[in-house]
Amino acid sequence: MISITNLSKFYGSNQVLNAVNLEFGKGAVHGIVGENGAGKTTLFRCIAGLETYEGQISSDFDKLKNHLGLLPTDPFFFAKITGKEYIQLLVNSRQLKLKNTEDRNVFDLPLDQYVSTYSTGMKKKLALTAILLQENEVFILDEPFNGVDLQSNFVLVEIIKKLRSLDKTVIISSHIFSTLADTCDKIHLMKNGEMVKVAEQKDFGVLETEMKDFTIGNRIEKLDLK
Amino acid sequence: MTEYFKLQFKMLNRRILDFGMPPLIGYLVVLLVFGATTGYLFSITEYAGYLCVLVALGFTSRLSEPKRNDFLKSIFNQRRYLTLRLLENLLCSLPFLIVLLYHGFLTEALLLILGVILGGLFHFNTNLNTTIPTPFGRKPFEYVIGFRTTFFIFPFAYLITAIAISTGNFNLGIASMALIALVCMSYYSKPENEYFVWNFALSPKRFLLVKIKSCLLNFTLLSIPNMLALSFFFPSNSPIVALSFLVCCIYLATIVLAKYSVFPNEPGLAQEILVGISFVMPLILVATIPLFYSQSVTKLKAILE
Repeated sequence: MISITNLSKFYGSNQVLNAVNLEFGKGAVHGIVGENGAGKTTLFRCIAGLETYEGQISSDFDKLKNHLGLLPTDPFFFAKITGKEYIQLLVNSRQLKLKNTEDRNVFDLPLDQYVSTYSTGMKKKLALTAILLQENEVFILDEPFNGVDLQSNFVLVEIIKKLRSLDKTVIISSHIFSTLADTCDKIHLMKNGEMVKVAEQKDFGVLETEMKDFTIGNRIEKLDLK
Repeated sequence: MTEYFKLQFKMLNRRILDFGMPPLIGYLVVLLVFGATTGYLFSITEYAGYLCVLVALGFTSRLSEPKRNDFLKSIFNQRRYLTLRLLENLLCSLPFLIVLLYHGFLTEALLLILGVILGGLFHFNTNLNTTIPTPFGRKPFEYVIGFRTTFFIFPFAYLITAIAISTGNFNLGIASMALIALVCMSYYSKPENEYFVWNFALSPKRFLLVKIKSCLLNFTLLSIPNMLALSFFFPSNSPIVALSFLVCCIYLATIVLAKYSVFPNEPGLAQEILVGISFVMPLILVATIPLFYSQSVTKLKAILE
């Protein structure tokens, strides 16, 4: 369980998170949706301890970060490092020994090639594979479906379901509502740094309609397309 | 084209300003360091001319990166592009040319001119997609990436040792070991993305220990051929070989600590000055190492705890 109480974050005078209160339970998949700049990534960075913040983030773990697998929106890779070495680096950092990396290559990535030769989707799949092999208890996946092909999306959805069945905590952000609806138990709507709505599975349809209405509004008319 | 060089000059000045010193002082410092280094180099070995050519070509080869050149080609026509490339290569190698001519190394100077002209006319892809095998794959990442970038230096360093042995010049062999240490130090010149530190489930002290341990183990692996050869062919100087190795290890550990003392920022002027002074006055290390260590622990606490 991760509990967030009155979490606020400022960048100078700009408030990015405003008194966020949330709970992420074990064995559940939590979706976070919101427009670009709503504060989703900052929220994730605060949970990971990569940002200082006001408020409280507590968990069942002594040090949450040591049990947390973080998939950033745009994972960073070194030049001249192979996929296998990247996985090795992340697994080593958790003091784990990894044997037969190839057998765990669920996305069939060319692990002996430099990551710099990978496509955007392949990089995302590699980063995900690495954090899965870290044997984490909590997963934060920031836009995991972005740039990933359809076939891998199916695999990804099944991986998320498997993590839930293993009693892990999974937090996902995505702009693709259908994938969130397929995987999440709860979806939290963020707007301007605040949590404005939480929807249970049965209300996902209503939430999507509300979001569409709110987001689209009369924007298209503004274009005055002819 | 004039605008291009003016822009390069502005960018260079900004870099010096980022180091925290006025450009004029920066140029003066670079000039003094360059003069002192080359002077020292020419005083210790007769192969300094060749070293000078290699270092100069190494510098100019960085201007031959395909992406950079594709960008230039998209802006300038073919004739202007070639002129520009030749001019910038010659400008970059000018200090080395002056030094070579000053010391009377005419052949090497001509070799350098030929090299920079060829480097300007053709560009070489240094980002080969072929995976270069390394012996460090089980412990990524510094030596894995570093080795793949600088692998060509190691045969050269071992060649210097072979020359040292064949000519009976022990100091040259030690210089070769120092070259390997310097190359290894360069692997720690830039901070990694904080994500790769954050991932470690270690305390700051343990993290530093792991980093230093792996740095020294890998350096040992690269230095073993040199150390064994020098100890075998200059048996009476074996203690000096061991001492030199130890000194290299101490400096490597200092560089690792210097890197994390300002993490996630890049080591700045203060760290470079301290390291520089430590090179000239090794006794300063007694203060530098604990200072960098305590600063590193503080910086890493924010990320690891």
